Amino acid sequence: MPQSPRAALPVRILASFNGPQTLGNSRFFWCCWLVAILALALLPCFASRYHVLTASNFLISSILALSLCLIWGYCGILSLGQAAFFGVGGYAYGIVGINLIEPMGNTDLALLAGVLAPAAFAACIGGLMFYSRLKGVYVAILMLVVSLLLGLFMRQTADPSYTIGGAYLGGMNGLGPATASDPALPSLTLGLAGYAVEFDGRGRDFYWFVLGVGIAVYLGLRWLVNSSFGYLLVACREDLQRTETFGYDVRLVQLGVFCLSAALAGLSGALYTAWGAYIHPDGFSVAPNILVVIWVAVGGRKDLTSVVVSTLALNAISIELAAWGEISLLALGVILVTAMLAAPEGVAATLGAWIGGIVGRKRAGSATSSVPARLGAAL
Amino acid sequence: MTATVAAEDGAILSVRDVYKVYGGVRALNGLSLEVARGEVHCVVGPNGAGKSTFFKTLIGVETPTSGKVFYRGRDVTRMPAFRRARLGLSVKFQNISAFGELTALQNLFVPLRRNHRKADIPDRAAAVLARVGLAGLEHQEVRRLSHGQQQWLSIGLSIAAEPDLLLLDEPAAGLSAEETTKTASLIRELNRQGMTIIVIEHDMGFIRSLKARTSVLHYGRLFAQGEFDEIAANEDVRRIYLGTA
Repeated sequence: MPQSPRAALPVRILASFNGPQTLGNSRFFWCCWLVAILALALLPCFASRYHVLTASNFLISSILALSLCLIWGYCGILSLGQAAFFGVGGYAYGIVGINLIEPMGNTDLALLAGVLAPAAFAACIGGLMFYSRLKGVYVAILMLVVSLLLGLFMRQTADPSYTIGGAYLGGMNGLGPATASDPALPSLTLGLAGYAVEFDGRGRDFYWFVLGVGIAVYLGLRWLVNSSFGYLLVACREDLQRTETFGYDVRLVQLGVFCLSAALAGLSGALYTAWGAYIHPDGFSVAPNILVVIWVAVGGRKDLTSVVVSTLALNAISIELAAWGEISLLALGVILVTAMLAAPEGVAATLGAWIGGIVGRKRAGSATSSVPARLGAAL
Repeated sequence: MTATVAAEDGAILSVRDVYKVYGGVRALNGLSLEVARGEVHCVVGPNGAGKSTFFKTLIGVETPTSGKVFYRGRDVTRMPAFRRARLGLSVKFQNISAFGELTALQNLFVPLRRNHRKADIPDRAAAVLARVGLAGLEHQEVRRLSHGQQQWLSIGLSIAAEPDLLLLDEPAAGLSAEETTKTASLIRELNRQGMTIIVIEHDMGFIRSLKARTSVLHYGRLFAQGEFDEIAANEDVRRIYLGTA
């Protein structure tokens, strides 16, 4: 969507979210996007409390899926242990929250810890991986092992000595207060200038907050991948060695994106802990790790919108199928295999490209003539 | 013509007594070589001569077991590839090394974004594409370009940052006769514009068309060096490499 320097500010802002690294750059797409956001925003007005609660979890899952989409789809780093950062973020939020909710009256620092702790953890793990030139399947397997080891360790923390201040790690039972006098896992409570707003994980306010965070993450990532840095990410995905010969320290690029991805996964983990008021070691196991990969792969790992659509749809289908009893998992498996065979690049991405093609053909012929002008339009 | 190395004033690249050992195999066995600033220098040799290892050593993918590599008088032996690139050493790999899922323009964005403002890139990209004969194909996805066009785009990516030294690994691989001729013209033109170029190549016809100083590698050492006509007339080289003796 090329814009002249004199274009209106909203149009120029919108243009910064558009580019070749994302599907859906037309006004038609953004109109549909606004309608979808409006529908999601109005959901609590007509849906039951159960559905709002479930939808909050779906949105949290979408943020986790976006974090994997960033490193896998755009930078070519497949991690089978993304849930590790989700779990670290969740535990960090809980531990800091339990210890600071009473003296501070809010969970600002807990939320910050939920983002920064997994980013710092990713800096350590990623530094070792990328600076030793580890790549491909080895990164994927190593991350899964890291996640499983974290889960193994957390399961063995049932001994009462595993306390951090007022937080008791709790082994299989998950994080909780060390003593009866310590506070429980706190709800999300944001404090600002002496005021504190509590978002009960079961309520509408929490849903709207998570929706806002999800929109911010989605738009932020759209801006990032369509910026000039986005080209560098894609170049790293396509050919790491070639990219390095252009003068880029690709290890640093990979590490930076890996940390950002971990921070986003941690954010979703922190929100999850605040949503359910619990976090336990099962979050580090194989199933959650693979589930994220499925959300991203089925949607289309190279497009942010496709990943969000896929995550919301697959979560909704899972919930609906759960009512079918024992055959629900089998039915879900059939749906996933069929989807991946029919559209290896992702169902949502393939559908999006198809719709985009139709819209694009209707607009054909509007290109400008000079080469620099066309080059500028493409950028 | 003997396998000696003459120390030259103004050498942009100097490889001194470099060994590279893989297990028990000496891929480079005391190789010494100098490339003068502003020349086209061809490196030839059969499979196993050490060309690929030499190439990887120059760009920083492989570190020599011993010996030194100097670029513009600076020891770059253990310098990583990206730092060498920042010093003006550019490379085009043997295989197509443009990014297939991006357009020609988007490909050029990657090398150009390091040193240029976003607003300046379109003009510069257009100039680079025109320089390698791809004007008008800026919005073509790379995978839809012909093999020759992809090779030229790869060269375009390598020269986008205006390097001092360009390394080309088999630039004529898989090209038709017409495309090979055009590639040779492109290399000569880049050289006329002041770029030092090292070409590693199997195709002797292509080397002949470049009319450049040529080094022959054999078992990881410099076997012979001189102008191509001298190399082609050398009985030892003909017997061992050209198979025409």
